[in-house]
Formats: sequence, C-alpha cells, structure tokens
Amino acid sequence: MNLKLIKELPELIENKVISKEVALSIEQYYHSKQNNSPNKLFMVFGVLGSILVGLGIILILAHNWDDFTRSTKTIFAFLPLLIGQFFVGFSILKKKSATWKEASGTFLFFAVGASISLVAQIYNIPGNMSSFLLTWILLCLPLIYLLKSNSIMILHLVFITWYACSYGYSFMNYGNSPWLYLALLALSLPHYWQLLKHKLDANITSIINWLVPLSLIITLGTFVEHEEALGFLLYLLLFSLFYNIGKIPYFENQKLRRNGFLITGSLGIVTILLIASFRWLWKDIIRIDSFQVQELYMSAILFLMSILTLVYLYLKHKVKSFNIFQFVFVIFTVLFFIGINNEIVPAILVNMLIFALGVVTVKIGADKFHFGVLNYGLLIIAALVTCRFFDTDMSFVLRGLLFVGVGVGFFLTNYYMLKKQKSKTNSLKQ
Amino acid sequence: MKTLYIFILFIIVVCAQLFVPSQMVFQQEDVLKTGTAFKFKTQPVDPSDPFKGKYIFLNYEASTFSTADTTWQRNEDVYVTIKHDSLGFVQVTEVTKNEPKSEFYIKAKVDWYNEFEKELNIVYPFNKFYMDETKAYNAELAHMKAQQDSIPNNTYALVFIKNGKAVLDNVFINEIPIAKYVEK
Repeated sequence: MNLKLIKELPELIENKVISKEVALSIEQYYHSKQNNSPNKLFMVFGVLGSILVGLGIILILAHNWDDFTRSTKTIFAFLPLLIGQFFVGFSILKKKSATWKEASGTFLFFAVGASISLVAQIYNIPGNMSSFLLTWILLCLPLIYLLKSNSIMILHLVFITWYACSYGYSFMNYGNSPWLYLALLALSLPHYWQLLKHKLDANITSIINWLVPLSLIITLGTFVEHEEALGFLLYLLLFSLFYNIGKIPYFENQKLRRNGFLITGSLGIVTILLIASFRWLWKDIIRIDSFQVQELYMSAILFLMSILTLVYLYLKHKVKSFNIFQFVFVIFTVLFFIGINNEIVPAILVNMLIFALGVVTVKIGADKFHFGVLNYGLLIIAALVTCRFFDTDMSFVLRGLLFVGVGVGFFLTNYYMLKKQKSKTNSLKQ
Repeated sequence: MKTLYIFILFIIVVCAQLFVPSQMVFQQEDVLKTGTAFKFKTQPVDPSDPFKGKYIFLNYEASTFSTADTTWQRNEDVYVTIKHDSLGFVQVTEVTKNEPKSEFYIKAKVDWYNEFEKELNIVYPFNKFYMDETKAYNAELAHMKAQQDSIPNNTYALVFIKNGKAVLDNVFINEIPIAKYVEK
C-alpha cells in the first residue's frame, strides 16, 4: 500500500529533501507494519471463496437429485454443515489466524442455510421466507462473537434487512411490523462498538458505518402500517438522528466518505424536505385520522433520541456553531403538526428551510475549503429552484432569471474558493 | 483457558445448528411412517425457489370449502377436518378455528373468503412439490396434458396426516409417480 512512498525515497534522498538515515527508518517502519497486519488480500479472497463455494453447494443440491433415495439426500443436506462446523471448530481450537476464522465462518453461515432449505426441499415443506431467514440468522448470530468475525457481521446485517423486508413489506403480513429485526440489530451492535473502539480506521468499520444506516433506512418503511402520512415525519426524524450521530467525534473526525451516518442523514433530510416543499403533499397526503398508532410512538422515540444525541454533543462541546441541519427535526415536527390543518404555511416555511440549509452548507464548504460540500450546498438550492419551476405561476422570465442566478452562483463561489486556495498555497510557499 | 470456553460455546451453537434440521427430518419421517395417507386432487404450475430449486406449485381441489360463516381473517390459522370419500380421495367435512377432536385434520391458513360464492379458500402447508430441475417443466406439461384426458381424478398428491401435521410424499399422474411419468 505504501509501496509508492518507498519507491519515491531514492528521489527524495537525491534531491536532499531527507537524509539516508531517515529514508531507512521510513522503510523499516512500513516493513514492520506490514508484518504485523495479517494479509488483507488473502482474507478478502478467502471470504469471497467461501461465499462462492457456499452458494455453489446450495445451487448444486437445489438441483434435487431424483435418483438418490430420501435418506441419501438427507445425508448430503447435512454434509456441508458438518464440514463447515469442523473447520470453524478447528480454527478456534488451533487458534488459527483471522483469515481462517473469517473464511470458515462464512462457509458455515451458508452451510446452515443450505441444510435447512434442503431438508425443507426433501420433505416438500413450503414454509415461508421470513421464518426461514429468521431461523438461519439466529443460528449464525453467535458466530459473530465466537469468531470475532466481520464478514459474518456484514452477512448478518444484510440478512436481517432481508428478513425485515420479506416480513414487513409482504402482502400476507399486512399490519405486522418486524420488531424482531430491531432486536437482531441490537444484538450485533456490541461487535460494532468494539470495532469503533479498537479499529476505527479499518476499512471494515467504514463499510459497517454505511450498512447500519442503509439497513435502517430500507426497513423503516415496514413499521409504517396505519398512518402513512406519519411515515414522512418518521423518515425525516431518522435522517436527522443519523446526521446528529454522524457529528459524534467517533464519526466526525474521520474522512467524510467513511461517515455513512452523516451523508445518508444529510441527503435524506434534503430529499424529504424537497418532497415536502410541494403544496399538494400538505393538501392531499398529510392527514391523520388517529393519534393512537405505533407510528406516533416511534416518532416520539426517534425525536427523543435526536434530542439526547444533541445533548450529548453539547456536553462534549461539539456544538460549536449553530448548524441548522442538526435542528431540522424540531422545525419539521412543528411544521408537520401545523400542516395537518393548514397547507400553505408549512409549504412556504419548508421552502425557506431548504434555502437556509443550502446557504448553511455553502458556508460550511467555504469555511472548510471543501469543494464537494460547497457544491452540494449549491445543488440543494438548484434542486429547490427546479422543484419550484414546475408548480409556481411565476413568469418564464422570472424563472429564467432564477436559474441564471443559481448558475452564476456556482461559478462565482467556486472561482472565489479556487482563488482563496491559490493565495493560501502561495503564502505557504513564501 | 479462554479458547476452551469459546470452543464449548461453539459446541452449543453446533448442537443448535444440527438440531434444527434434524428435528425437521424426524418430524416429517414420523408423519410419513405412522400417519394416514390421503389423496388430494391437484392442478400444478411450475415456479422456482432461490434456495430450494425447482418445484411444482400444487393447487388442490380441496382448497375451497363452502360455508356461510364470513368471519375469516386473511392468514389466520384454521383446522381442516377431513375424511376419505368412496374412491379414497380426500373430502373436507369441516373447517374450524379451534383444534377439532376428530382423528384426521390439517392445520392450514386462510387465503381469502369469497363472499359472492360463499366459499372459503384455504392454503395447505404442502402446496409445493420439489423436483429435479430438468424435470419440473416437463412435469408441468405432462400434468396439463393429463388434466385434459377424459379419465377423471387422474392426477393427485399423496399426503400423510398425523395429529394435524401433513407431509407431502409424492404426486401421481395416472397412478405413476410424476418423476417417473416424465421420464417416459
């Protein structure tokens, strides 16, 4: 990984940037570092190989070999399971490397699913997808902790999301929410906590930083059963919670692209607000018949969690300047309940809110010298203008001028930033 | 010492992982060995399952039951009491919400209630018959052809019943197991 740096060392010595001794110690440092860390590439291929072999076995056995008797087929159904268990047991007893544990664990994960589904096939048990997935997940959950396995953690997150979708979005289960999903997610969080504590910079941690919020976003819809309008509020509250979680030092101090909570939160907030900036939404959709529903209780819980995160951030002195993104949930909740009886006020205020968010984002981008964030802010404003393009009675001239204005804004802000950056590097050189 | 604890815990997990499929096998074997056989007239179609492979989906003639009761909830558990008719085929005598005292009954689920026809549609827990993937499509064709034959009741599923549990053993066309019939 640091080969590039080591290759450049001779050039640096030649130009007398560093001394020979320094070059030598740099080289030694990276060599010793490499020896300490297990071979990541080998681990990735080990896990990928296990996944492919596991899935391959499922497919081969799914052929349903008619020529074998029922008992022969049953033995074959157990075979992959026993092989997987043997290898996992072997890696635990012999204290094998993480590569061994990850690969054998992944294989065992698929072997468990294969054997259950094959027995069901042999005896023609139709079963239903969600209960099958639930059994599978529960039987493999302990492996996360016994093997300290990250690949099983990832599989766990993917499969519990699948479970929640197949349970909650299914037509047959109308009116039921996959509460067990939340329990299963909670059961895997201690492992995530360990990763955040000890391996904050590892790639695996940043993958999970993305998977956890994505899983929750996908499954939140399964908890909306009675009052669909409250789904809007629920989603906005979830995104706001993510945004505030993304501001916790563990995540905030990392590179932006590793901070899945902050990015999904921010994008989600803007998307929901853009939808809510249309008047028809408040006129036709936002309507509540009953307040005695689970959606309302869940909204209350998410609201409280956002408040608690804010309080935590405040106590840790992380709320330095007022960032409107962190308080959107309070404003939107108030607007939402005004919106039940009134369609004009919330629509106008949401438009102003989006504009404010855009401006704040541009300012954050300018302060941090981050072109991505700066342009994201401008994009928010551009999206707002585009939305208004469709549903207002403004004259074409006015709309045209608005677009030209936003376009010029893009040019000017980027130009200003570039110039500022240049002067900064110039001053550094001098 | 720590490794030993982890290993012991792992052995418990292994036992659980083995227990679930084994218990499925024993339950089904028990019904097949000691249960009573019933013939269900069928109308299959052929789909596919990502984990379990190709199967034919069986539609039973016994999956509708005429009743004036309209209180059925979708997906609700019901108990279907059955008996043999004069030709050895199944006949539904009663559908109840509580477990009946009779000897032969099946635990099934409500699909929907047809208020116009006053008919209850039932989903039986044995509506899929898994087959060799090369044979499933041919089985469907063969079955369609057999249905058009003039002989009545020529396709049926053989199901073993014990204490409300049911295991689908085989599907027959003209008294020949469907897998064999397709090979001809």
